[in-house]
Amino acid sequence: MRYSPLSTNNQEKIDSLAVFLYVVLLLIGFISVSSATSDVNQAFYSLSDIAIKQLVFIFGAILIIFTIVFSNVVVIDYFAYGFYAIAITLNILVLFLGREISGAKSWFGFGGFGIQPSEFAKVATALALSKFLGTYGVKFQGTKNIVTALGIVLLPMAIILIQNDTGSALVFLSFFLVLYREGLPGYILVSAVWLGILAIFRIISEATGISSFYGYGILLGLGSIIVFFVRKDRGIAMLVTTIAVISSLFYTIVGTFYSKILMQYQRDRIELVLGLKEDDRGMGFNLKQSKIAIGAGEMWGRGYLKGTQTKMGFVPEQHTDFIFDAIGEEWGFVGSTLFLLIFCGLLVRLVIMAERQSTVFGRVLGYSLASVLFFHMSINIGMTVGLVPTIGIPLPFISAGGSSLWAFTLFLFTFLRVDQVRK
Amino acid sequence: MDKNRSKQLVFFGLILLIFVIYTLRLASLQLGDVPYKKMAINNALNKITLYPSRSNVFDRKGKLMVYSTQMYDLSVFPFEIKKLDTGLLCSVLELDIQTVRGLIADARVRAKKRQKNNSFNNSALFYANLSNKQFTLLRENIYRLDGFFIESRTDRQFATATLSHALGYLGEADEELIASDEYYQPGDLVGITGLERYYEKQIRGIKGVKTVWQDRTYTERGVVKDTQFNYPATAGPDVISSLDFVLQEYGRELLNGKKGSIVAIEPGTGEVLAFINNPDYDPNTMVGRDRANTFKSLLRDPQKPLYNRAVKGVYPPGSTFKTVMALIAMQEGVLTPETTHGCGGGYRLGSIRVGCHPHGGPLDLRGSIRISCNSYYCQVFRDIIDNPEYGNVKVGYAALEKHLRSFGLGSPLGIDLLGESRGNIPSVSQLDRRHGDRWKSSTIISLSIGQGEILLTPLQMCNTAAIIANRGWYYSPHLIKRIDGYKDTAWDRKYKIKKFTTVDPRYFQYVIDGMSDVTKPGGTANGTGIENVEICAKTGTAQNPHGKDHSIYIAFAPKDNPKIAIAVLVENGGFGATWAAPIANLMIEKYLQGKAESSKPAMEERIKTSVIQ
Repeated sequence: MRYSPLSTNNQEKIDSLAVFLYVVLLLIGFISVSSATSDVNQAFYSLSDIAIKQLVFIFGAILIIFTIVFSNVVVIDYFAYGFYAIAITLNILVLFLGREISGAKSWFGFGGFGIQPSEFAKVATALALSKFLGTYGVKFQGTKNIVTALGIVLLPMAIILIQNDTGSALVFLSFFLVLYREGLPGYILVSAVWLGILAIFRIISEATGISSFYGYGILLGLGSIIVFFVRKDRGIAMLVTTIAVISSLFYTIVGTFYSKILMQYQRDRIELVLGLKEDDRGMGFNLKQSKIAIGAGEMWGRGYLKGTQTKMGFVPEQHTDFIFDAIGEEWGFVGSTLFLLIFCGLLVRLVIMAERQSTVFGRVLGYSLASVLFFHMSINIGMTVGLVPTIGIPLPFISAGGSSLWAFTLFLFTFLRVDQVRK
Repeated sequence: MDKNRSKQLVFFGLILLIFVIYTLRLASLQLGDVPYKKMAINNALNKITLYPSRSNVFDRKGKLMVYSTQMYDLSVFPFEIKKLDTGLLCSVLELDIQTVRGLIADARVRAKKRQKNNSFNNSALFYANLSNKQFTLLRENIYRLDGFFIESRTDRQFATATLSHALGYLGEADEELIASDEYYQPGDLVGITGLERYYEKQIRGIKGVKTVWQDRTYTERGVVKDTQFNYPATAGPDVISSLDFVLQEYGRELLNGKKGSIVAIEPGTGEVLAFINNPDYDPNTMVGRDRANTFKSLLRDPQKPLYNRAVKGVYPPGSTFKTVMALIAMQEGVLTPETTHGCGGGYRLGSIRVGCHPHGGPLDLRGSIRISCNSYYCQVFRDIIDNPEYGNVKVGYAALEKHLRSFGLGSPLGIDLLGESRGNIPSVSQLDRRHGDRWKSSTIISLSIGQGEILLTPLQMCNTAAIIANRGWYYSPHLIKRIDGYKDTAWDRKYKIKKFTTVDPRYFQYVIDGMSDVTKPGGTANGTGIENVEICAKTGTAQNPHGKDHSIYIAFAPKDNPKIAIAVLVENGGFGATWAAPIANLMIEKYLQGKAESSKPAMEERIKTSVIQ
């Protein structure tokens, strides 16, 4: 037997809190899906086709769990790269053989069922990244290692972008949080976020016709004020000046790029995603209906199976991307914050578990899981409440659909299995 | 490890940050002031209007005159239009593509207007009144037109073409009405004229509502069970008109080829038995898709078929007015049945001369009516207003005017139609304006024989006959007998007020005696009478400055316990006895004897086939 960082000695019991929270989320998910797809004409409770399908997926997930729990943990380590290779291959193949669903070519169709390989790419990427960073002697340092690690993350992201599934591709940005934990300097992340915010503001000012001089005014004015107060410390003053100048330059470049280089249809698409364009049937409409659904829940919710927004299909994709509306409408403020609490509870638990790993493999895997789930949850719920642009990604464990559920179950229980042998 | 510990704290911090931000956001959505719940309910509930049938209208004997038929509209959810097959729509409706685009834009505007509380599920009328062909084609193809659906409502069908001016026509509610009365929606039909207008609130019935759950694709997902959201449409109640269908048809036939009006009233009740104008129009052309076009061409027609001359046209009553003058003179004490005046072929006073036709004289009151002597009434008129008791011609005239107004003249009679004219009874000040301050009885002598400033509608002429028939009183004429389910209503009360003239009932007999001679030998309408019916009548010839004189005739019958009062006016018909008298007498015969065949077939034939240009 070759050396593996995962040893089968000293197996702990599987983390019961994480499993418990997973089961609770699964139940909430099933209830929400069945409610969102129920038929008002039915006098008595009956399951919709989609709910029954979801039940099948849940049984599938249970099979996956048992397979992982009863298999040798070493397999996870051995097949990490292989799994990554398979995922990359499938994601390339889907470009040629896939079915196109709402503009994205990211589905393999099997009769009534479909498999979305990009969902599995996340767990595969996490495994490959864990395996690479967990390799003896490898650290997130040195050009070669950094390039390799970035390559592992950016390759699937690029392929999924080609599939025209922007939402799923953006999820891979969450691996930068993992890289931060593994040594990527924090200022790089902060700078990236800062530039992202600048770019969005510039695009908003371009799209809405607000003069860009406000942006310059704020950047340079704020910079000057800060410099004035810290003028004693020349180092910080220089830094702030540099930041202000670079930001202003970037601000200018984005503006030029946006208005001069991008084509009109590209601008339209960006503005639509940013919610700057309202159309009667498009994203502006969807967002409005989503807000109505959640707002209609008020304090205690309208009651199980009583949410007309979700049930009558006023919310688009109400059983997949907008499933949180069903929770918000039927269970109200109390129910939705409780749900948030449960989900965040799982995230906190996963971060704690990730940190307690003795192996880099386990830690990277744990942080990958927590980061990806965090990203999914923030974007998905943020979208339904109108805080985040409309980016179509599912709410893990809750949204209807097999690929997402199976991939996240695989992800979670792979980590839980690894956690069992943490020593 | 410290560094790693702080990195872990960054993760916790991010999770906490998102949790806090999202919780606050949820609080603002779910616990805030925006009525999202109401919006959600408005989204999912669709109130479908159930259109009631308008009232059926019957004649006084129970013959159905107007009823409702189905009519179909094409409506649309304008924001549901996806990949519209414009070509299909154009070919089915037989419209060009520009028009269809315009209609879609209009429907969008209308749907937006109906949008309340951000609910978006509003449909709007797209194309009203589908023709049979359009309806058939659409029903086959509607599944190919996303967002379009067919709605039904009711339109009118008239049993006869003679009812246009009495019953009126329907039209689409205009924007003004829709703005002022929330009962109406664009495309709704509303009575524009006639009884349809006057009793619109009763005849229209009550719209019902069916509230359904509806999903985003506007598919019904079940009826809302709560009864407060659902109530059926209530059809308009049966309306029993006072008109006599047979008489109405017959009168219209007699008026063929002639311009004029026939109005008949049951004196004892004020109920209008016949209400006929020529020219008129076929109300059945004023329904459905062609309504607007028909209306336009009727409006342009130089014959003015939309003009309701029975209540809007005003004419000098001519000699028919002598009856009223005689009554007032007796009341004023300046005339007795025995008073005689000579004639000599006309009345002369200085430079004024009122001509008269040759007849034997001198005449008493009865004879003056039978022969219609102008000179007699010039004298009577002067006796009234130059009455030394008043000392002043204007005071004397004012007394005459007061009596005239008690006959319901000079003001609308209050029939249940809109736009009734008041006619004209000149006031002292009007005469001052016309003739200068210093007029005398001789200045206005033409009023004595119903010429000059005195103007009456055919309805007022008929009502005058009814007053004489009743010996001094009348009810406001009306076209309605009753509306089922409505009792003691404003109109009921209005039509049950008995109005008395200022002339004592005992004087009427002397005038009636004279009127009963008119169709007899020596009378002005000799030869037009009906056997076995004692018709009391007065002929008249109204001078017409624009052309040939108008032929006028008022009558009632039988002499005792009268059942029908009638006025006939034939424009440019010349003498009253030539056209108006035979028409009126044939009507009386038809009403009182109810036979298919007239006892005077030659006269009937002559009237029916004559054309007056």
